Amino acid sequence: MTPMQQIAILPYRKVIAIAMRGLRFRLVKTFLVTCCIALALAFLTYILCSNGMTAHLADRASDALQQRLAREGMLDQLKSADKQSQTAWMLGIALLISFVGIVNAMLISVTERFREIGTMKCLGGLDSFIVKLYLIESLFQGVVGTVLGMVIGVILAYVEGVGRFGGDTWNLLPPGELAVLLVVTFGTGIVLTVAGALYPAWRAAKMEPVDAMRSEV
Amino acid sequence: MIDDVTTSAQIVRAIGVRKVFRMGDEEVQALKGVNFSVRRGEYIALMGPSGSGKSTLFNMIGGLDKPNAGRVFIDEVDIAALSTIELAWLRCHKIGYIFQTFNLIPVATALDNVMLPLLFADVPATDAQDRAVELLKKVGLGERIFHKPVQMSGGQQQRVAVARALANNPAILLADEPTGNLDSKTGHAIIELMRELNESEGVTVISATHDYKMLSVSDRIAWLTDGVIERFAKRDELDIKEGSTDVRH
Ligand SMILES: Nc1ncnc2c1ncn2[C@@H]1O[C@H](COP(=O)(O)OP(=O)(O)OP(=O)(O)O)[C@@H](O)[C@H]1O
Ligand SMILES: [Mg+2]
Repeated sequence: MTPMQQIAILPYRKVIAIAMRGLRFRLVKTFLVTCCIALALAFLTYILCSNGMTAHLADRASDALQQRLAREGMLDQLKSADKQSQTAWMLGIALLISFVGIVNAMLISVTERFREIGTMKCLGGLDSFIVKLYLIESLFQGVVGTVLGMVIGVILAYVEGVGRFGGDTWNLLPPGELAVLLVVTFGTGIVLTVAGALYPAWRAAKMEPVDAMRSEV
Repeated sequence: MIDDVTTSAQIVRAIGVRKVFRMGDEEVQALKGVNFSVRRGEYIALMGPSGSGKSTLFNMIGGLDKPNAGRVFIDEVDIAALSTIELAWLRCHKIGYIFQTFNLIPVATALDNVMLPLLFADVPATDAQDRAVELLKKVGLGERIFHKPVQMSGGQQQRVAVARALANNPAILLADEPTGNLDSKTGHAIIELMRELNESEGVTVISATHDYKMLSVSDRIAWLTDGVIERFAKRDELDIKEGSTDVRH
């Protein structure tokens, strides 16, 4: 038999089973990392939704609401340059929190297992197996955390909206725009999570096993 | 190419192996041209003071790190010439590794730890499970196959590591201070276990060690000092030197 035949490219089904076993065993850490992803995404989704609502006050709010807001001087205030730059700031901060929070959480959770990666290489694990393992693990946490965060963010934005704009809130964000916004946040969450895990996993997979086993974080 | 198994007497051959570690401006010559060969079925102890380069040599022989100069042949195959996949194949099938720190996968049970190299070798899951159970029984852990590493003592963990190292019937068992984290009695049991496997399965054992208990079971001892092999000793010569009262047959 040739070497190629005796070294397995494990099917995804088996890699998924191994990844899930790890996630289950590290339940507390899995939970914390997922929460971190969810929190960051909740903030991002909330900012985007609530910005979207205020942006549409002029063209979608009912006359009654427009009059009330005009009376309170809120309409002018919302249009002011100050408010606009504040909005941009908040969005920037939300993105930064997502980036730093998620990438950092994933980076730590992978680098603290470099030794395990080195050991798997000693047992005959292929580089591609290691990358797949962490791809699945981070995808799982990314999807759960991101969806959870998006749900929380949307709820927060609408609860606050109802408080400020009453029943008009439901009409402020056009469904198409809301859909685009959700797709973008979902993509952001998944990309940050997977990239944050795959980069260190790929680096560890490429290392000589001793170097991976030696690095303790 | 790896599978053209020559029945050459020499299973490991290291020629002029050098390894230099650079840390900033500082250079440490961990191995300064080591020549070393091991016969099939031999039990070799690699001894030497701390920092003499035992672990570094272990890594070179095991294909876990690359030398700066020199060659290492396993079954007459130059491991520097292997692709990453062929190297993975070598680690999976030819060599079983045992570490001082056990290096079990913490999230996996004893059974799953032993099954992992079998899965990597494409052994069907049910066969892999049977083989893993059989190996765990052989190392005396038949009752603990579902235990996680944290639920086991150091000696038990090292037994799992031995079972895992043997999973794919390797030709070579490479151990780096396998008894280093064990008490004297447990260490003795691990040494005996490796000796039994060496005798019954014909597996070649190469073990770096500080443990003098290892000497009495080794066929040959390589003394490493400051990055070079200073001398080899046969067991019989050694017994005389150590003033042992053992009667040789
Ligand atoms: N990754 C590394 N970076 C820098 N220097 C290293 C590295 N690994 C080993 N060395 C150096 O190489 C030399 C040999 O180290 P090695 O670990 O092989 O010794 P050893 O004989 O196994 O010692 P011990 O008995 O303490 O385990 C030492 O001087 C050590 O400091
Ligand atoms: Mg050492």
